Amino acid sequence: MARTIVDIHVIQTVPPSNLNRDDNGSPKTAVYGGRRRARVSSQAWKRATRNAFGELLDPSELGVRTKQVVELLAEEITRQDAALADRAAELAEAVLTAAGIPLAAPRKKGAANESKFLLFLSARQITGLAELAVEAGHAEGKPAIDKASARARADREHSVDVALFGRMVADATDLNVDAACQVAHALSVHAVDTEYDYFTAVDDHKDKDDEEDAGAGMIGTVEFNSSTLYRYATIDVDRLRDNLGDDDATTRAVETFTRAFVASMPTGKQNTFANRTLPDAVLIVARQTQPINLVGAFEDAIKDNVNRIATAIGNLAGHARELHTAFDEQPVAAWAFGVGDERVAPLTELAQRTTFEPAITALGALVGERLGQ
Amino acid sequence: MSTLLLRLGAPLQSWGTTSRFVRRNTDRAPSRSGILGLLAAAQGRRRTDPLEELLDLRIGVRIDQPGQLERDFHTARSRDGATSMPLSYRFYLADAVFAVAIEGEYALLEGVQQALRRPVFPLYLGRRSCPPAGELLYGIHQQSAAELLAQHRWLASPWVQKSHRRPTVDLDIVTDCAPGTDGAELVQDDPISFDPQHRRYGWRTIHIGHVTIPNPVYQPARAGAAEPHDPMAAFEGIA
Repeated sequence: MARTIVDIHVIQTVPPSNLNRDDNGSPKTAVYGGRRRARVSSQAWKRATRNAFGELLDPSELGVRTKQVVELLAEEITRQDAALADRAAELAEAVLTAAGIPLAAPRKKGAANESKFLLFLSARQITGLAELAVEAGHAEGKPAIDKASARARADREHSVDVALFGRMVADATDLNVDAACQVAHALSVHAVDTEYDYFTAVDDHKDKDDEEDAGAGMIGTVEFNSSTLYRYATIDVDRLRDNLGDDDATTRAVETFTRAFVASMPTGKQNTFANRTLPDAVLIVARQTQPINLVGAFEDAIKDNVNRIATAIGNLAGHARELHTAFDEQPVAAWAFGVGDERVAPLTELAQRTTFEPAITALGALVGERLGQ
Repeated sequence: MSTLLLRLGAPLQSWGTTSRFVRRNTDRAPSRSGILGLLAAAQGRRRTDPLEELLDLRIGVRIDQPGQLERDFHTARSRDGATSMPLSYRFYLADAVFAVAIEGEYALLEGVQQALRRPVFPLYLGRRSCPPAGELLYGIHQQSAAELLAQHRWLASPWVQKSHRRPTVDLDIVTDCAPGTDGAELVQDDPISFDPQHRRYGWRTIHIGHVTIPNPVYQPARAGAAEPHDPMAAFEGIA
């Protein structure tokens, strides 16, 4: 199997917005190249990406992250064998305990026990654990469940999102899954200052009443900034294949992640700012040596606000070309797409110019071919 | 004696050695466990694999560009949004650059260098969301780590070198030292095992020293040219 790494670079402009805020309500920032930049944390964009999976994948390929595993498993046991409905909760607890998942009393009275930690199980793992519980339910006496087989069912056939983003179970570390994708914090390619929007909210009722004063019902401020972001993520296809255990599933996961990472947007203050944009330019590079983060292209903050997007795309292409030359790096394949032929032109020296869907299809085909090798 | 030189630079890095619970700190320089972890990841060692000969490597870190501390406020919720997990604070070093000298047997360092060029697991600087940026490998040199760090050119970003405006620069160097050395500090970052079942770190003593090296971009003022007015000049060198 040929070693495959997929790098995704995105240049994306967002208008006034507050995608990801800190505990004071300010948009997150970080200093880079000596200038303060807008920042959207990797976690925020990973959540947006994962939320998009819901529309792109069948629920059977996804995982559920919850503490209510007993309830969830009991439902599946009942679905598999209605005769066991009365004992479903007991069987669910037995199979989870055998798998080494610690349980605790629920916070709500009368509810089923919960796992001590948020658990991330794939639909196939829940089905598998339920099968084991049903088997044990049919046997005579107290349900006896083999620890090794329970553990195995919780530790294989991960869902696409677990395989990509990983899983951590603090009390049962051998159930951990190392993530196959890596997402960097998005940073603006230019310096930003946080701005403040002072607002007044009018009390409609007061407004109609002549007797009332003319004051606002409420005043406040909302912080925001607008920025052109550089976003970067990389998928380690070989690790993903290890986690999923299936070539076709791996190809589909690569396609889905790429599609979702490119087109998703965190929901922070979305209704206030309607900042839902699509990228200005996207560069997808398949490599066989190592992932390459091109953020160095923006260490010198772009000062000219007139051609900011075009300059950003030009800098990205220039930096990639220089790095490739310096390190004799030869990508296996690369695709670029974006808005405006002239603007995206610098990327065509590195990559094949295409559009969104054909790029994903070509990427999927390449990954499938390399997995088969 | 051979020493492999790395440059660790990225918008964000985080090197925690004392983090517990919801406050995830960073030290001001890469930790020994973090650097050995980086090498082990490149070689494709899993967390449960023994670290073996990596543990014999001697490491010196020079703080070429100290960067600044950033605090990240972090919330987490269950998939359905119903359960909120504890709020956490994560600290990062933004805009920092480190020269890391790794001293050991030539053959081992050569292998490590190959592995870093084609890493089995993706590399990151202390935290997964901090992939390295720019050039990482600066070759194997026939010197000790201390000699190399005392001599090798300044690796800070061009904008930092330009704004320094002095012929030389003083840099902090973090090296191992014998317990009982004057000014020694204790850190618990000597990895014994990365196995998530029983992660263990030993204590080691470190010494923070200084070196003075030339600023490669320094341009002396031409003789006779008037000194440009710099009202801040009087404060340079303070703190």
